Amino acid sequence: MTTTAERQMELTLPMVADIEIAAARAAGNLARELGMSSEKIDEMTHAIIEACINAREHSGCADNRIYLRFVGTSKGDGSRIDVWVTDHGRGFDPAEARSRRPEAGAAHKRGRGLQLIEAHMDEVSISTSSGGGTTIHMVKYEKKES
Amino acid sequence: MTEELRVAVDRKPNGAVLYTKGYINNVGGEEIANRAYELMDADVRTLLLNLRDTKIVNSIGISILIEIIEKMIDKGGSIAFCCLTPVIHKTFQIMGLANYAKIFVDEDTATKELGL
Repeated sequence: MTTTAERQMELTLPMVADIEIAAARAAGNLARELGMSSEKIDEMTHAIIEACINAREHSGCADNRIYLRFVGTSKGDGSRIDVWVTDHGRGFDPAEARSRRPEAGAAHKRGRGLQLIEAHMDEVSISTSSGGGTTIHMVKYEKKES
Repeated sequence: MTEELRVAVDRKPNGAVLYTKGYINNVGGEEIANRAYELMDADVRTLLLNLRDTKIVNSIGISILIEIIEKMIDKGGSIAFCCLTPVIHKTFQIMGLANYAKIFVDEDTATKELGL
């Protein structure tokens, strides 16, 4: 029989300078409790940082809050962390954002946040609508070596 | 909350090494830029950024690093990096920074290769 352990955390953070670090540290602590490797944790925290920066810089939300939820699940064959980063802002068009993306490796000063999120996480999905806010759901896996 | 970046400079016979400590965000990137531009104004044309005490960068900070690299290239010089964590190395590659700046595993190798 496989044992499953789950840890959950919810945070509501103000959109102030460097608040993304608080979000990343909280997620990192949860990931360490699950036994995730430092490299996987670093990738996840960099993705969370970019998601929070996107919310702070582009959402235009009135409540000036970022809503985060972390769910860590540990099973016999490994662990996973699900991260939701939500804002109540104006929303955006992911396809349009991706179309503006420069080719991978080409030097470009801005507009890389979503690309970094997708590169650092194993799964990324975006729920967004005009005026209805945005939620980015990201998943990071760690398989145990047998 | 703010995360302050500290930058230390070690002048070498043929360039300089900048040591960063902390988060490279917009403010940290500007701090590095200020120090780098001071050195460029003093005719330093080879800069090595040692990021051994930096564990987190964001895309805004990296965009500022790209601006520094472009200015140095315009002046005929070069910028290199060393001691990157694996995730920062990966992020630099995605952001295109690795195409315009050499990346070394450690400072000794970088110093020899760059002739500092």
